[in-house]
Amino acid sequence: MASRCRERWRSWGFNLAGKIAVKFYGLMRLRLRTAAIEISGDGLTIMTLLGLAEEKTGQSFLDELLDKDKGLLTGTIILVNGENIRLGQGLQTRVEAGDSVALFSPAGGG
Amino acid sequence: MNGWMGRIVKFDLGSMTQETVAVGDAIRRQYLGGRGLGVKLYSELCSSSIDPLADDNALIFMTGPLTGTLMTSGRYQVISRSPLTGTICDSSSGGNFGAALKGAGIDGLIIRGRAAKPVYLSVHDGQVEAHDASAFWGLDTQRTQKGIQAEAGSKTSVACIGPAGETRVIFAAIMNDKDRAAGRGGMGAIMGSKNLKAIAAGGSQPVAIADPEGYKTMAARLDRIVDKNPVTGKSLQVLGTSVLVNIINAHGMFPTENFRRGVFNDAEGTSGEKIAETLLQRQSSCYKCPIGCGRTTRTRDKNGEGPEYETVWAFGAHLGISDLTAITEANYACNELGLDTITMGSTLGCAMELSETGAWKESLRWGEAGKLRDWVTDTAYRRGIGAELALGSKRLAAKYGRPELAMQVKGMEIPAYDPRGAQGMALSYATSNRGGCHMRAYMIAPEILGHPVFLDRFSTAGKAELVALFQDVSSVVDSAVLCRFLQFAVGISTFTEMLRVVTGLDFSDEELMTIGRRIYTLERLFNNRAGFGRGDDTLPPRFFNEEFQTGSSRHRLVRLEEMLDDYYAVRGWDADGQPLPRTLAELGL
Repeated sequence: MASRCRERWRSWGFNLAGKIAVKFYGLMRLRLRTAAIEISGDGLTIMTLLGLAEEKTGQSFLDELLDKDKGLLTGTIILVNGENIRLGQGLQTRVEAGDSVALFSPAGGG
Repeated sequence: MNGWMGRIVKFDLGSMTQETVAVGDAIRRQYLGGRGLGVKLYSELCSSSIDPLADDNALIFMTGPLTGTLMTSGRYQVISRSPLTGTICDSSSGGNFGAALKGAGIDGLIIRGRAAKPVYLSVHDGQVEAHDASAFWGLDTQRTQKGIQAEAGSKTSVACIGPAGETRVIFAAIMNDKDRAAGRGGMGAIMGSKNLKAIAAGGSQPVAIADPEGYKTMAARLDRIVDKNPVTGKSLQVLGTSVLVNIINAHGMFPTENFRRGVFNDAEGTSGEKIAETLLQRQSSCYKCPIGCGRTTRTRDKNGEGPEYETVWAFGAHLGISDLTAITEANYACNELGLDTITMGSTLGCAMELSETGAWKESLRWGEAGKLRDWVTDTAYRRGIGAELALGSKRLAAKYGRPELAMQVKGMEIPAYDPRGAQGMALSYATSNRGGCHMRAYMIAPEILGHPVFLDRFSTAGKAELVALFQDVSSVVDSAVLCRFLQFAVGISTFTEMLRVVTGLDFSDEELMTIGRRIYTLERLFNNRAGFGRGDDTLPPRFFNEEFQTGSSRHRLVRLEEMLDDYYAVRGWDADGQPLPRTLAELGL
């Protein structure tokens, strides 16, 4: 999520290129057999990030998170630095280098 | 009669006599069965001042009109006044025992009195018989079930107590169908106080169905819905309930070291994903359940069921323990000895903080996995420090002068969701009729998991209405009786239709919600008479005064006062939390 501080730094010409951490939980982790990857980029939307993550892992997993219309499934949780994107701009929420994105497919218990 | 078997038996263990209890159609329609009808019958039999462990106290095993019919209907409810809390209490368990009671021809069994020597009851063809259980007294729950099945028939379903129930530990569980537990509230201690080791039920009496064609259609529809739903059709099957470990930890509200932190650094190692990769042998299911959230597991030396999410937390993060094998084997021990894992683990966390502060001289240290199984065993037998741990956290902390270190509401220990991370869950804990329990209104569903809609977890707006609504729906589900996990896939209108095809009664969604509200209010009335009021609808001071410094729930406190008046208003209760006369009139109470 864009922080004011980072935007200011970028406006001063600092290069913030770096990695975004993407963490997989639940069914995706079992499918991908990996807990986390890193994606190079800055200012990406979550939707773009997810596409890049699929490319990097070489396996599809978006069906665990999105419905056929590419909207969030009921119960999908995507946290950016611990904050749910549903409280932000949803799949259009932007993430920056250094951010940590956690992906949880719909789950329940209790 | 469709749905109900039409027979509830009252058995007096003192006089060894039994009688049939007449329940009219109107009462059945107003309370359904299970929790609702159980609380109604209990309120008429026992005063709110009764000693839960007195001979005269009643212990009620109830099924509902849906028990033994459509999916997830093997459950049963146990109702009495809790020795842990002093509130009205119902404790729910899965497996097959509920369906077996109906197969044996009864809707419910009311037990009073105390047997002169250990007995077990068998139920068959609507008749209840007492048998000598001296040979089983002292045995763990697994040997007891096998031994009684050898006498009563291998297809018999057995609900029993272990040593913890015999020694009347006030958080002793009732165990059935191997490792299914009516865990919370100490119902096992009441069985122990009555010298009642077990109940065995079996038979093949069918439940009459009002609309067989509608029933078939409903069964097929439920199969489709549950299979297609990502939670019931996939996540719970593959990962079990412990899938929540990483989710709740990521929200910074995974209670760590007696709720002093909200992030457990070793959570990954105790997660559902880790269990699936390491200890899991296969999933296990209750009666007619396509979900199969149960975990059959194996450690190097032992095998059994579990751990579920709450247990992973109670013996894990709550105690600073990351050894998944030790956690799992402590769970096995609780199953064998008949103890509630949540209260057991939470009490140990309280004891560790008491020890750390010097208030209690015993040395129990955070992260000490090696002694876990011994502490559990000693508690069941009330020996050594186990005699103190058997008090539960509220009494233990009070005894050593630090009552604020017990993480409980009305005497029942709060489970694995820190209320500072979800305001609705905080209100749910505070107003739960049986104390610090997550199952009255599971606000984690909307506030964290996004079911059925996603809500801002830190907002208090609208939470009072939703908590009351969830409490009412849960009362209906517990009275029908079905598994709560079905609620991840279907809502109230499906429950209405299920009841319609089975009973033939023209229930509406509105009527079911009124039934739920009636049950919740009746429970509240019992608690009011037992002395509980607004002052008890609260949380330990830690949640109002101490902020987390790290994690995504940092710098948050519970804002209960913003919600409590609204909640009472929604409920039709006065400012002290007492139902108003007009509310009672509306509900026919």
